[in-house]
Amino acid sequence: MSGEEEENAAELKIGDEFLKAKCLMNCEVALILEHKYEQLQQMSDDAGNHVSQVFEKSQQYVKRFSRYKNPDAVRQVREILSRYQLAEFELCVLGNLCPETVEEAIAMVPSIKTKGRAHDDEAIEKMLNDLSLIKKFE
Amino acid sequence: MFLKVQLPWNVIIPAENLDAKGLLLQRSIIIRLLEDFAARKATKDLGYYLAVTTLESIGEGRVRQQTGDVMFPVVFSGITFKLYRGEILEGVVHKVLKHGVFLRCGPVENIYLSHLKMPGYSYMPGENPVFNDKVSRIEKDIVVRFIVIGTKWLEAEREFQALVSLEGHYLGPVS
Repeated sequence: MSGEEEENAAELKIGDEFLKAKCLMNCEVALILEHKYEQLQQMSDDAGNHVSQVFEKSQQYVKRFSRYKNPDAVRQVREILSRYQLAEFELCVLGNLCPETVEEAIAMVPSIKTKGRAHDDEAIEKMLNDLSLIKKFE
Repeated sequence: MFLKVQLPWNVIIPAENLDAKGLLLQRSIIIRLLEDFAARKATKDLGYYLAVTTLESIGEGRVRQQTGDVMFPVVFSGITFKLYRGEILEGVVHKVLKHGVFLRCGPVENIYLSHLKMPGYSYMPGENPVFNDKVSRIEKDIVVRFIVIGTKWLEAEREFQALVSLEGHYLGPVS
């Protein structure tokens, strides 16, 4: 990150390397950590493998804060949000917080309305409707 | 925010473990990588180190002259967690003090929400101290949605602290 530009996720100023990094939603991380945990349990005869504090606290967190639990639903959420030309960071904040209105979505991710980007209210509304449908049928 | 990162790493296998060949050696390398990874805990750039997801490659081992250990350069993918200034997240209150509350979010315990950043809330002391406004309460175990206004990396403890705020629309306790 350059020294001149102060970090500000609301404006998507998070450092060039992170703009291109893959971000994960809580529900995606929950599935990965669950799988990892099972794997580590199987390896537990070697080197006394138990999970780190960081792993444990994170797993507790994502279990509680996942809006979608079913792996197919999680995949669908990623797929739907990917259609809307969002940065990875923006996509994950929306998938985590599941705003209910266009107004709330813009408050959670202000950068979708700035930088001369073509996200009109209708497109955002459609996106939120698609997300809530997944929730209904989960 | 949870990040998926790809990192190079040098795994050092002590001389006595080098009798193993093929799959057993690979297993030693993986176990060692997982141990090193867990021990690292966090870095300033990538945040908290959660889990290794895939081992992408293991390079040729190089003998370290002094010790007889062999160093294997590997590349792996993993998940980390980092808080960004301006990011909006949800966390859980775990301590209530007169001047503010401490929240927990992901692996981070030291997230401070000052009373000055809770517009409209007043402190009510008691056995279960709470911050009240006209319609809601901020107390232990409540989920709060906040915005990050600053983060600090503590090199010695290898952890982050954060300052957060409820100033903004759609922020505050979540039912």
